[in-house]
This record gives sequence, structure tokens and C-alpha cells, in this order.
Amino acid sequence: MSTVEKVAAGKGRIHVRSDGNEAVLSELSYSYPLKLLSPRLAPSNVAIVYCLTYGGGLVHGDGVDLEVDVKDRTSLVLLTQGSTKVFKTRPGHRHAHPGKANRPSAETSQRMTVTVGAGSTLFLLPDPVTCFRSASYSQIQTFRLATDASAVLLDWITSGRKSLGEDWVFSKYLSVNEVFVAGRRVARDAMLLEEDHGGTTALPPRSLADRLAPYSCYATLILYGPKTAGTIKHLSESFVAITVFKHASRPSTVWSLTLLDGGRGCVLRVAAQTAEDVRTWLGEALRPLCDLIGTDVYDRTFGR
Amino acid sequence: MDSDEEAYILLLLSDGNLPTGAFVASAGLESFVTHGFMSPSGGPPGKKHDKLEFTTEFIRDSLASYARTALPFVSDAHTLVQDVLASATTPPSEAPTANALRDLQALDDLYEVMTLNHVARRASKTQGVALLSLYSKGFTRPAVVQGTKDAHESDKDVQMGSLVDKLKLAVRREETFGHLPICWGILTAALGLSLGRSQFLHLFLYARGVLSAAVRMNIIGPYGAQQLLLHAVRPLVTQEAKRCGSLRTGLKECSESSDISSERFDNAVLTYNGPANTWPLGEILAGRHDLQHSRVFNS
Repeated sequence: MSTVEKVAAGKGRIHVRSDGNEAVLSELSYSYPLKLLSPRLAPSNVAIVYCLTYGGGLVHGDGVDLEVDVKDRTSLVLLTQGSTKVFKTRPGHRHAHPGKANRPSAETSQRMTVTVGAGSTLFLLPDPVTCFRSASYSQIQTFRLATDASAVLLDWITSGRKSLGEDWVFSKYLSVNEVFVAGRRVARDAMLLEEDHGGTTALPPRSLADRLAPYSCYATLILYGPKTAGTIKHLSESFVAITVFKHASRPSTVWSLTLLDGGRGCVLRVAAQTAEDVRTWLGEALRPLCDLIGTDVYDRTFGR
Repeated sequence: MDSDEEAYILLLLSDGNLPTGAFVASAGLESFVTHGFMSPSGGPPGKKHDKLEFTTEFIRDSLASYARTALPFVSDAHTLVQDVLASATTPPSEAPTANALRDLQALDDLYEVMTLNHVARRASKTQGVALLSLYSKGFTRPAVVQGTKDAHESDKDVQMGSLVDKLKLAVRREETFGHLPICWGILTAALGLSLGRSQFLHLFLYARGVLSAAVRMNIIGPYGAQQLLLHAVRPLVTQEAKRCGSLRTGLKECSESSDISSERFDNAVLTYNGPANTWPLGEILAGRHDLQHSRVFNS
């Protein structure tokens, strides 16, 4: 099933089709530093693919370019195994990067282009990205959905290696998630976190950590489509039911929700003091999705 | 337009009494305060803060994110309208207005789908539409004042009047949104303000709006607000105008249906320089505005 031929560095392709009542991977190809694995633990009509990188991380100049196509009313769950670690930038060195071979690049980048056909669903549930000190990382993810396709898109970042005292000390993190439904753009979430270089000298320096304190993990979750309707309803009802009285100090977890496209989708953001807090929170919030991807996968992803 | 004329327009536009809807917006400051973010206990240990410091930090983070998100839209809208005015003719031709209208709506759509926060969307629409009304009710030439002798100037007035009327109609029919940065770009281009001035004033008014909200919430006093306006807001606005002044939305270059080849991937990832949110914490807190048990502001 897996082919590793004629694929440019860092490129991957996942095509999911239906064979009777089973979701099958009609294509699964990848090349260094990307590795794709598909374990057989999914319920019927759901395919699962783990996106791995060699050594569990990406170094400067690495680029990953993944193309995904889910059709025939199947579902695909995309997972990672542990957080995506982005190592620090060392100018002058570069490893695998698609495209021009000798273009200098100090950035680490990930590109994902996904098409989800009618009645099909994509669950993108990776572990968070962790950018190490001085790392520079960009990711752009484009999702093209058919009218009644569904998607659950999780994108999250932690502040660094806690054990080494890192707390928002990378140099740049850019994440763009764009969702089109039947060719119409319904959301573009663009987040840019970088140190404030060359700022004004009239005021004291303000670090990225100052801006994001007291939280060490930020998550953005985009839900769209009929398969997520129950979850969206449940979440938006619990959101509007909240009443905030004056806090004496900053809350340990904070979240917000905004509906998209007349309620057919939503964008949810969560911040908490640790990634595990966010994982636990998401595990509770997304419980209704458990039936769709199976308890086994759900628990592996969100812990129990 | 000479610099005296431009200075006069700046005086008019920076009047705090203009009915622009800004007085009901706190840009998330009220929610920030309610959630305990101005209490010293929540801050990093060992750091003592006073209210002026907290307010300055809020303005700094909030303004940086707003500038990065909104300024590209101000710039694109301003440029579009400037181009329409430059091509104004007698009798007014329909095509430039129609094209500009279509492009402005595309900008408005993009701002809507990039503003993933219903509270900010609501405030932006209220203030944007108020600016369009301000132009047609407050800044067009009244009958009592003799029209200009310059034929091109009067062509421009007619062209602009028609464009703004059509936009207002589109907003009323819910065909477009009327978001603040786009409407600001339209208004300032219509008044002949240069793009640089327009960008700077937009950021200044944003920061001043936050300070007014802080005074109204009794976080800082009116004198403190003036101190910050002169000594803190000025370098911050200057910095953000410099940093974001040349950014554009990139809407024209990225067509919706085109496939992204490997080459495009490389370029897209490494050179994305479009609008972006730089303060997710502010975004979350602003989105929780309506959950507050009691509140004074609309955003």
C-alpha cells in the first residue's frame, strides 16, 4: 500500500476512498523527513494516519508538504505521535525542503492542502507544536470542503520545553488555517507570534511571554459541517450559559467560541497553563465526536 | 492637497465628538479587566504594576494585533478609492464605481472571515457603517456652499457620492458588512487624506478609543490618559504604522480556486505577509465580552 517513489523531499500524499463499507487508503506516499503510518485500529469506514517526522521533530529548513483527499463518504483521522518539535534556526544549514534545491531558508515550514468530498469528514487532531528556543516555524493549512463535508481541525502550540525553562522564547510562529466550503472562503485564521524586534525604545521591552502570560498553551479548534452540528450546538450553549463575575486574578483556563457561516461551523479558542490542561479540556468538550472516530482513537488522542 | 488642507481634515477627523460609534467600544478592555488581568496578583511575580502600566500594556498588545490585522485592509480600500477618484469623469462613468464596489466587497468579505470573534465583528460593523453615514451626512458639500469651479473636483464629488450611496445600500441589503478598516480607508481617501496619514490616524484613534474606555471605566483618570496619549501612544502608533504600513491583504494575488503547486507552497509559506492576529489572549478575552455579568460597553 505504501509507496515511496518519486516523491519530493518532505512531500506526502494521503487519499482515502471507500471500498464497500471500508475506508481504504488508495494512496499513501511520503518522503524524508515525513513518515506516514496507518495502524489498523479504526472503526469501519474510518481511516487513521499518523504523521511522523524522523527524530520526532523538524529542523531549520525542513519542509513538509502534505496533500490529503478524503472522498466517498469516508472519514480520515490524522494524528501525530507526540508534539511536533521545531528545533532552533541555525542560518546557513538546510536539510530537506521541497521546491528549489538551493534556495537558502532558515525557516521550518509545513503545508497541508486538504480536499474533503461530499459526506466525508476530516479529523485533524495532532499533538501541539512545540517551538524550541530561537526556532522559526510557519504552517499554512488549506481545507477545501464540499457542501456537506465536515471537518474537525485542531491547531495548538505550547510555549516550549518547560524542563529547560523555555517559555515563549522561539523567534517566530506563524499558523494560517483557511477553510473553503464549495469554493467560498468561510474562515481564515492567521496567527503570528514573534518577538518584538526593533520596537520603540520609549517603553520597557515587552516579550512574547509577557503578552501571553500566564498561559503556556493556546489552541484553536475549527469545527464545520453536519457531522459536527451536535458538538457545535452543545459547545455554543455551554459558552453562552457562562456568566463572568469580576475575577480577582487571572483564570487558569479561558476559552471563547464564535459561530461561523450562520452556525454551520465554529471557531473555538482555549488557553491554559499547561498543554495537558488543554488536552483534558478538549477531551471533555469534544466528547460527542467519540462515536465518530471510536473510543480507542479518542482516548489515545485526548487521554483518559 | 497641501499640508494645511490635510491638517484641517486631520483636525476634523480626530474630533472626539464625531458620531463614529467608537464611544461604545472598549476593544476588549472591559473584558480584560473583568477577567482579572489588571490585578497585580495575576501578573509575573516580583513585578509591581500600576494602572497606567497595565493600561499601556493592554494598548500595546491590542494595538499591535489590530494594526497587523486591520491596516492592510485600510491600505487596500484607500488605494482602491483613490484610483476611482483619479479616473472620475463627466458624465460619471459606471464601470469604475461598479469595479471598485466589487473589490471593496471582496475586501469586506475577507475581513469578515478573518475576524473570528463575533464581538469584534459587531463593533467593527457598527463603526464602519457610522463612517459611511458620516461621509454622506457630514462631509458632503451642503447646498448653501457654492460648488468648486474645478471640474475634476466636482466629478470626484459626484463619483464618491455615488460609490458611498451604493455601499450603504449594499450594507442595508446585507450584501456586504461595512467593516471599520475598509470604511475608514474609503472615507479618508474620499477626503483626500494621504495613505500614510490615514493609517497613522486610524491607529491613533484606536488607541485613543481604548484610553477613553479606560477613563470611563475609572481605571485611569483623564490626566493620566493625556499623559499616555502623548508619551506612550505616540511611540506605539509610530512603531505600528511603520511596521504594518506597507502590508497589504494580498487579496488580488490569491484567487480562490487556483491549486497550490510545490512552487506556490514554497512561496506561500515563506512569504505570507498578510493580515494576522498577534495576540490570541486578547482575542479570547474580547470574545468573552458578552458573558460579563455587568458591562458598560458594546465590545
